[in-house]
Amino acid sequence: MNLTQQVINGLVLGSGYALVAIGWTVLLGAARLVNFAHGQLYMLAAFLAWAAMQKLGVSYFVAVPLSVLALGLLGVALQGMMQRLVMQQNLTSLMIVTLGFGYVIQGSAARIFGGDPQTFASPLEKASVHLGELWFTWQDVVTLVGTLLLFGVLWLVLNRTRLGALVRSVAEDPKLAQLFGINAAQVYIGVFVFECAAVALGAGLVAPRSPILASMGFDEVILTFVVVVLGGIGSVGGSLLAGFGLGMFTALFGALVSPAYTTAAAFLVLLTVLVVRPGGLAAR
Amino acid sequence: MMARLSAPLALALAALAYFIPAVSGGAPVVYAACTTIAILAVMAYGADLILSYLGEVSLGHTIFWATGGYAASMLAVNYGWNGWATAAAAIVAAVVLACVLGLVTLRTREFVFSLVTYAAAVVAMEVAFNWSFLGGSDGIVGVPPLVLTIFGWGVSGAANTDLWPIAWLLLMATLLFIHRFRRSRLGTSALMVQMNPDLATALGVDARRVRLAVFVTSAPISALAGWLYAYQRAYVGPDMFESYFLVLMLTAIVIIGRRLLLGPLIGTALIIVQQTFFSIGGDGDKIILGAVLAAILLLWPKGLIGLWDVAARRLRSSA
Repeated sequence: MNLTQQVINGLVLGSGYALVAIGWTVLLGAARLVNFAHGQLYMLAAFLAWAAMQKLGVSYFVAVPLSVLALGLLGVALQGMMQRLVMQQNLTSLMIVTLGFGYVIQGSAARIFGGDPQTFASPLEKASVHLGELWFTWQDVVTLVGTLLLFGVLWLVLNRTRLGALVRSVAEDPKLAQLFGINAAQVYIGVFVFECAAVALGAGLVAPRSPILASMGFDEVILTFVVVVLGGIGSVGGSLLAGFGLGMFTALFGALVSPAYTTAAAFLVLLTVLVVRPGGLAAR
Repeated sequence: MMARLSAPLALALAALAYFIPAVSGGAPVVYAACTTIAILAVMAYGADLILSYLGEVSLGHTIFWATGGYAASMLAVNYGWNGWATAAAAIVAAVVLACVLGLVTLRTREFVFSLVTYAAAVVAMEVAFNWSFLGGSDGIVGVPPLVLTIFGWGVSGAANTDLWPIAWLLLMATLLFIHRFRRSRLGTSALMVQMNPDLATALGVDARRVRLAVFVTSAPISALAGWLYAYQRAYVGPDMFESYFLVLMLTAIVIIGRRLLLGPLIGTALIIVQQTFFSIGGDGDKIILGAVLAAILLLWPKGLIGLWDVAARRLRSSA
């Protein structure tokens, strides 16, 4: 085994985890809403981009923005339906509602796109770079750079702009924020739309690595759970760190111990951390 | 609801329920549907204890459901244990697992609790899928017919007509248990912890101990359902962890309304009747199930019983 190669694999995997998780982290931080349809949204975004390439004949570089746009619109619709429960902060019901949404999306996608695995091909996936014994694709480079850029911009927006201050104040205390004239409902919609669009971008960059299936749903993004909770609920920097840490862990565990049990091992790490620090690693 | 009914009436209803499949024609498909409803309703009652009385969403009850199934099939296939022994083993295994999971999640609340129980279910599924001891991805095939005897009298069989009396008995025992639980010290403490944790603490209720106790109590209920399911299907595999069962138990609980004794049973019956007699294909049924779950909570968060309240209020005000 080549250690440097595994480190590269870990970085690539980790940037993917962080990218797919970021929308969820922001949503959890701002609205305390767990979206259990996250995996199905990822699947739907991958299939929409794939369908745009197959049926409309557009290129990969047009298909991905189209699917980001479509998911953003879907986000408006979903959040519109959930608005009443979100304003009441009825979190138990909301969690179950998103499970229901996920099930509807999965059933609909299987009906529309069929049950067979499909290849969602990116031209960048075929362009690989060889440096001595090391190997990676341009898709990996774009994912890594894109993730770092997105996290940087997001951090700046949340911490250095008025918009970010709005989101943070609603996250802190929605009722108080409303007393100060902040429209919490709009902030919730914005945050949910960001989640949907971000997971679509994540799917556009990460999904071409393997065949896509209508039933892949949550299992495909299950490790983002670990990223979100380990990084600390709602912590942007924390999820980036947790994403890379988890990427390294999966790459090395898969290569050194057993590929079949990687997910189980990652969850055991999560369970251990939760017993010791229930608030996640970033909790003070 | 049931609390207001007298005991003889409850007994009469229970006896009537026993004859439902015979009265509805006695066709094998009717027996199959009734047995399935009873089994899945018992499974849902396990999760109901957590959702209705603790107010938390456990996404890990498929673990206990599968534990019951695996315990029954492995012991019956490999060691020829009879029904009583496999049922006892299913209960013990579920209690042990619930203690571990309950202790790990003791300090977690709300969505962290849900996330961790879900994560545990994923780990359990991965283990069941990869570990040859548990049959791996093929599962365990050829579960022998269920044999349950007491004082020489007993039932045995693998057909749904044979299993229906047992499923009915299991369901009635579960209903009785839930009824007792609602009036028990643990049941009332759990509700108090959910409604007003500060008051509960002030009255000397240890919230963590109550949560753990309810969690451990709920596990064997779902496990016994899984135990009977193994005999009904004569096969157990990693598909017992599928989100179908998770979504089904949650829908069954919320569709009529939380904290109603007969709620999960009626909910399960509605779902299984739709899927057995009015199915529009596997994916279509998924859309229906998910849409019903989301729509109920979005429109009438209290369940269909909330609709009844609204109607009753309108009637009263117009009268």
